[in-house]
Amino acid sequence: MFGSWHKPSTSSTATAEPGAEQRPAQPKSGTRWPWSLLTGLIILALAALIPLSGDAATLHTWTLILMFAALAQSWNFLGGFTGYASFGNVFFFGVGAYSTGLLILAGRPFWLGVLAGAVAAGLLAFLLGLPVLRLRGHYFAIATLGIAEATRELVAIRNLGGSGGEVELPLPALSDTAFYFLFWLLALACFLLTAYLARSKPGYALIAIRESEETAEAMGIPTYWYKIGAFVLSAVPTALAGGLYAYWSTGFDPPTVFDVGISVEMVLLTVLGGAGTLLGPLVSAILFELLSFQFQISGSTFHNSLLGLTIAIVTIFIPQGLVGLVQEFFRPLAPGMSRRQLLVEGVRRVRRVIAANGV
Amino acid sequence: MLVLAVRSLPVRRLPFHREVSAMLIAQVIVNWLLLGSLYAAVALGFSLVWGIMNIVNLAHGAFILVGAYTAYWAFTQLHIDPFLGLPLTMLLLFCLGWVVQYVAINRVIRAPFLVTFLLTFGLDLLIADVVQLLFTSDRRSINTAYSGFGLTLGTLHIPFDRLLAALIAVLLTAALSLFLQRTRTGNAILATGMDRDAARLMGIRIDRIYALTFGLGAALAGAAGAMLVELYPFDPSQGGVFTLRAFVIVVLGGLGTPWGALAGGLVFGLAETVVPLLPGIGPGYDDAIAFALMVLVLIFRPRGILGKAFYA
Repeated sequence: MFGSWHKPSTSSTATAEPGAEQRPAQPKSGTRWPWSLLTGLIILALAALIPLSGDAATLHTWTLILMFAALAQSWNFLGGFTGYASFGNVFFFGVGAYSTGLLILAGRPFWLGVLAGAVAAGLLAFLLGLPVLRLRGHYFAIATLGIAEATRELVAIRNLGGSGGEVELPLPALSDTAFYFLFWLLALACFLLTAYLARSKPGYALIAIRESEETAEAMGIPTYWYKIGAFVLSAVPTALAGGLYAYWSTGFDPPTVFDVGISVEMVLLTVLGGAGTLLGPLVSAILFELLSFQFQISGSTFHNSLLGLTIAIVTIFIPQGLVGLVQEFFRPLAPGMSRRQLLVEGVRRVRRVIAANGV
Repeated sequence: MLVLAVRSLPVRRLPFHREVSAMLIAQVIVNWLLLGSLYAAVALGFSLVWGIMNIVNLAHGAFILVGAYTAYWAFTQLHIDPFLGLPLTMLLLFCLGWVVQYVAINRVIRAPFLVTFLLTFGLDLLIADVVQLLFTSDRRSINTAYSGFGLTLGTLHIPFDRLLAALIAVLLTAALSLFLQRTRTGNAILATGMDRDAARLMGIRIDRIYALTFGLGAALAGAAGAMLVELYPFDPSQGGVFTLRAFVIVVLGGLGTPWGALAGGLVFGLAETVVPLLPGIGPGYDDAIAFALMVLVLIFRPRGILGKAFYA
């Protein structure tokens, strides 16, 4: 099922060919990995200049953008690389938020809460992954969704942290700029981790699982443990983001930090950018969140319609994601082609990609 | 009479309690059956679309919403009873579903499931927002002449509208099952669900069958919405809740047949009716229990209660 998502060439490398040793299996982002890495680092370096603007609203917007960039990138570890689409990753966000909130209420420093949240999320991902990662496709998506929804309800009923699960925290001792750089660091760490996965043996193992789990198992990859590892890997940064968000927002309740919308947004950003790519989640987090904030500001009555319409149009016309489209457009062509021929050929390829997904 | 007897003979208190609890149990069973069948209607279209097209339609709740507001509009403006207007609501929703499939979803039908997941999510946002613009976010309810009336047997109370809704839900399930099994078009839908490419080689127009299937799914969602607005107050934010419930119900019952939706609906209804009555739990845990149940079913019996490979 996931095979069709990516270029067929990646799956065909699994078959033994005479020249296979000279041509190592590479993920989609592999061919342009140094450039992707450089572009991503430049984008993040530019993002670090945002606090210089001194505008509180801009800083707020970009703090959320970096948070979503971190969330989408950590979703990418499991959903993009391994091909297991979780629709309940907000569970770990909530775990991080509640660990931080409850420990701050108990009089502990906030960094302890954030770390405790990350450890708790990692443990929970391991324990939940044991049964849930035996499921595939829709069923895995639904099971994770169910876990997040049930937890949201339990937290509210158990009155964790306050009536109805509402947590009120004291004003943070950190400035907004400090929070911005904490989220920035998190986004950077996720980006570097993605870059590592795109060019390392564990990352190749995850991609092999996505392309064909049976083949990967037959090749000697302990697929089950790799999947659990990827689940833990995607849970920990999500919980860190949740913990930071909790302290930053100074108050939250179960519907906010266990919102299905956040789970969907992680999936959305990754898929729009290009699942399993290095740059995709980062770029689409910035573009899409900016667009989303623009809709919110310009006319709140149409906010959801415009968002829905954007999602529909983008998924219909570029189902393989922004990065995939750009790569398809700029794929090396036969030498000696004029610029005009190049453009025509690129457009033709893009149209072919669009047409390939229809009935 | 019984109360009098108990008052005169305080010694016989125990049988009185037993009598009451027997009636209570009967009432719980009736409530469960009524709610469970209604849930079957909520999930029926979702199950059809998923089973045939392998699409988890996140816009299902939006279709329920459109159905509910169509029925509401027809009732307040045209004075059409929601139950009598059901065919009209279903026809309108069928057209909406047909167009959505033909224009949008057919274009990405071969893309991996994440893409259709996101596309239907986008459509859900769009449709729900348009409904909210047209009808505002106020809670709406329909009060017919027979609302609040029902059959009363002793302390047992069966509201007419709920009974009617449950009967229609079972009828729709049976009708869908018969349509799929007995008609040429139904068989074409089943064949497409079993093997898309083989069906195309047999001369079936896949794009039309998909549009038809999605239209039917939307029509069934519309019927569920029209019945829901008759029974409960409704507002535009509730679409997502019903998508999630349809999800759980289909997983519980299994994808195999329309009857799977009914079985799943009854199991989900049981969790929602009985669990709050258990000692030490109380109300509010019903969704948590339902989701826990779903995860357990997924892990131990991924095909659901009645599940088979496809609609057959």
